[in-house]
Parts: sequence; C-alpha cells; structure tokens
Amino acid sequence: MLEGVSQTGVNEWEVPVGYVPGMRVPGKFFLSELLGKSLESGAIQQLANVATMPGIIRNSLAMPDIHWGYGFPIGGVAAFSLDEGVISPGGVGFDINCGVRLLTTPLAQKDISGRRDLIEELFRAVPTGVGGKSSLRISQPDLERMMIKGASWAVDSGYGTKRDLIRCEDGGYMKEADCHTVSTKARQRGVPQGGTLGSGNHFLEMQLVSEIFDPEAAQAFGIRLGQICCMIHCGSRGLGHQVCTDHLKLLEMATKKYHITIPDRQLACAPITSTEGKDYFGAMAASANYAWANRQLITHTTRQVLAKMFRIDYEDIPLIYDVAHNIAKIEEHEVDGKRMKVCVHRKGATRAFGPDSDEIPFELKKIGQPVIIPGSMGTSSFVLRGTKTAMEKTFGSTCHGAGRIMSRTQAKKNLSGKDITANLLKAGIIVRAHSENAIADEAPEVYKSSDEVVNVVHDVGISRLVARLSPLGVIKG
Amino acid sequence: MSFEEISHTADVKIRARALTLGALFSEAFLALMQVLYGTDRKGGIVKEIQIESDNIESLLCDFLSEVLFIAEVKGLVFLRADIKIEGLHLTAILYGESFDPLRHSSGTEVKGISYSGLIIQKDANGYMLDILFDV
Repeated sequence: MLEGVSQTGVNEWEVPVGYVPGMRVPGKFFLSELLGKSLESGAIQQLANVATMPGIIRNSLAMPDIHWGYGFPIGGVAAFSLDEGVISPGGVGFDINCGVRLLTTPLAQKDISGRRDLIEELFRAVPTGVGGKSSLRISQPDLERMMIKGASWAVDSGYGTKRDLIRCEDGGYMKEADCHTVSTKARQRGVPQGGTLGSGNHFLEMQLVSEIFDPEAAQAFGIRLGQICCMIHCGSRGLGHQVCTDHLKLLEMATKKYHITIPDRQLACAPITSTEGKDYFGAMAASANYAWANRQLITHTTRQVLAKMFRIDYEDIPLIYDVAHNIAKIEEHEVDGKRMKVCVHRKGATRAFGPDSDEIPFELKKIGQPVIIPGSMGTSSFVLRGTKTAMEKTFGSTCHGAGRIMSRTQAKKNLSGKDITANLLKAGIIVRAHSENAIADEAPEVYKSSDEVVNVVHDVGISRLVARLSPLGVIKG
Repeated sequence: MSFEEISHTADVKIRARALTLGALFSEAFLALMQVLYGTDRKGGIVKEIQIESDNIESLLCDFLSEVLFIAEVKGLVFLRADIKIEGLHLTAILYGESFDPLRHSSGTEVKGISYSGLIIQKDANGYMLDILFDV
C-alpha cells in the first residue's frame, strides 16, 4: 500500500489529516491488498484534496473502484453540511447522472445464444458513438419537460410504463431541477441526442443471470437464475457535459468571490446556499433528469426490438432498477447521532440505501435498494442490495464498476480490437462497435476485476451480493 | 511542434510542445480532433472563433470547449487551425469538413476539458502543455 496510508480494518484504509495541506477531515477508502497493488498515488492525492473542502462531514471517502480522475477521484464520495458546505462539479463530473439500469426478459440463454442478428438490430436501433443522432424529434418544449420531469416525461410520452418510474432512483427525476440555469448551448446539444448511447465506456449489453447469491433478495427484485437481462449504461450526453463546462467557469469565479482555497481548479465550488451553488445544483438536477429520460428512451427502443424479434410482450421486459453514479443530492443522514440533511456528492459511486429507507420502492423495503454494478466488456456485472452499514459508513454509497487499471494509450499498444473481438466470441460474447479502437480502449484487461471490487464492498458490508450477470452480447459507441 | 498522448488511467492526457503560444494551442486542438474523429480529416469549410478569458489556462480550456460545442452542434470535423493570441484574446480560423460517419467514427467522444493537471509553461525550447480530456 502507498506510503502515508494506514490500515484501520479489514479492507479499510485511512489517509490522515496532513497528507496534503489544509485537510479538514481524514480520507477513508475501501480496498483489498490485491486491488491496492494497482492504486495510483494521484487517486489518493485527489481523495485528500476533497478533504480540504469547506463543510465536509466526517471523511472524504472512496470505494474500491477508486482511480485517478479529475477533481474528486473516481469512486469518490463526500457529504457536505448544508450550512457551511460547498457544492462542486468536480464531485459530479462532466457526465452528470451517468448511470446504469437493468431490464429482465422472459427469455433463456438458448433463445439468444449466437444471435448476431439481435446485436446487429440493437446496434441499428440505438444510436451509438461519436456523432450518433436521435431519430426522435424532440422539440424545445419536450426538452424542457425532459429536464423537469426526467423519466416520467418519457413514460407520459409513451416510452415506457408507470412501473418503470417506481424502479428508478428518485422515481427517475430530481425535483430541484431548474431549467433557467441551463444555457442555450447545452439545450442545443441536448435536442438531437435524446435516446443516444454515446461512446467510451457506455454500452448496452445482453446478459445471463448465471449465479444467485441471495435468493430472497433476487426474488424480491424479480431476478431468477438462467434469465436473460439487458443492461444499459449511459448519461446526460452533450447537455450534461455543457452544463458542467458552463458552471465550472461560473463556480471558478465564485470560489474567488467566497474566498475558498482549493488545491485543484477542477474542484471549483460555491457554498450550497449561494446563488452560484443553487444555480449549479438546479442545472445539474435538470441534466440528471435528461439522463433518466435518455435511459428511458433507450429502454423503449430495446423493448421494441426484443418484443418484435422474440414475439414477447413489451410489459414482460420490466425494469429492475436504475441508479445514478455521477450526481450530487440532498439526502437525510445520521451525523453525530442526529438526522440531518446533507449534500452528498457521488463521483463514480452508487447510492446503496439500506432496508427501511423511505426512498426505495415499498415492495423492496425489507431487502434494501437494488444496486446495479456494470462489469467491463466481457466480464461479469452484478446486482447487489444496499445495507444499513452503508448508511453508517458511506452515506449510503457503494462502488460503481470495475475501475480502470490500464491507460488507453497502453491498451491500444498491447491489444488489438480484432483479437479482443475474436477472443470474446470464443467465450460466446458478441461485440459490436463502430471501430476496433473503441473495443481495444474498453477491453476486459484494462479494468480491475469486477469480482474483486464487489467482493470488497460485500465483505465490508456497504452492499451485499445478490446475483451475477454474465455477458452474451454487447453494443458500444 | 508535436503532441503525444501520455499515460493516464481513466482519461486522455495530452502533452504538446511548440515554439509559440498560438502553435501550442493549435497542437492541443489537433490532439482533441484526433481523439474525437481519428486522422482522416479534410479542410474546405472555414469557421472563425474568438475567445477572451481571465488567464491563459482558462483561455485554452474555453477555446477547446468552444471547439467541442461547434463540432458537435454544427456537425463539423476540423483538419487544422490558425491561431493568433494577443494577451488573453484568441482568434482562431478553423478549417474542416462535414462529419462523415464512414470516416469519422473511429474516435471517442470527449465529455469535457479538465483543469486537473493543466500546465502551460515556457522554457528555453519554447512552450509546453499538459491537458486532460474527459472521455
């Protein structure tokens, strides 16, 4: 493990105050010895930087998929006091409400194994990659409604079912959305991209439920062994990226105005109660809602493809859950024995609320919130459930994915897209992307083992394993 | 004058060198275009943009963010840029073509231009910069 970091428990580590100047609280992260071997000092520096921000409560936290990002580390979580704390786009990222959702189907492995035509049809129907444009005609009033009502706009417009909304974090929209602080530029980018997947690590994957760890939770969520599922991973597209760019600039001025000292310009921030802080929060929430609507639109397209190809009912492809993993939210948590509202930033981290939380669907209250963790291309994804331990230790948060260990430059040098595609095909996984580069960039070898990452959160208790999902076919940007 | 991609786990980190500040910005611009659209790019369409910022680092971030916006919204892919910098004012003439999915789909979307680790320096050999693109 890196110098200056001390172990405080099994898979639990502390970065002491003083690791970087101005830290207000210690940093804390969750990692196994094995994952510690690929930990970058830059990521710990970023974790420590977050601890210098005004109003931070208890710890600057990082999940076991921690890696070097910008502003917060990826896998970073921090809660801020509403009175003295700040809000920062560096704790959310450019891709506001990048997130993931899981649908189940009545299909079995024999129905879709080797079905290249399914993957080709999904690739044709869901716009992906650089320059991918929506076939939907989203008007300016529609865009406004997407930003205010999120997934419920899509459902009201015929792109889903009412039940979908119950199975989204926050019901698929943040009520704090404020379109007035979303620029014309952001809107211009948002109109043609509703219902598009994007590129990079975004994907749509057909998967098989290959292992059940927790039968009671799996049954409650609606997951059974041998079932075919579909996972969708994407965010708020150019609209969210522009909102982050615009507000970063405004918040940089605010950082000076409010005399806040920050160790990294990407951590530009403002008091949560300030005009600048409220403006960013409103625009961020509007972008988050756009992302929920976007995932709902892709869900609709996917259901149409599956329903037509396999002659199954649209309603027989239910949403298990949808989670955000780049977001800032006002949530109630227990701090020093008192319930209080705080602003939780999750940058590459997933909400994992435990049993009895008011924010989770009524029928899942005894079990805890479903947590969807995508694996890298060719490796397992997982369904977990939120726990009371997460509420105590991480403001109800857990990991968000595997976390990269190899740079894109190295990946392209070491791995050819063609070989990776052939190897995956041998393992029964069909991959479809616009370019071989995109495949080499996201090859399984460039990520930490998703098994190892989820085992750490399971062992620490900040979420518990429910099911393993194995990939069968994937489309990428 | 050149740019290279240097190792960064999650994102794309670019290091560029040039004799003048304008040429340095041009290298960062070329790197951005290459990451987004690959190397098969042509000229033809001309576009002028002007940017003013509070400091040189912001000028670079604001310029590249504006390029990202124009490229996406206008559906343009740029081959090169002539850049003039006077104080904290930038004028860029961009030469490009319309986005062609057959030739321009080998890249990856850039979500934003980050301030993290952004360095612009002058030394005996000219100028150098490090910049991070979120992909």
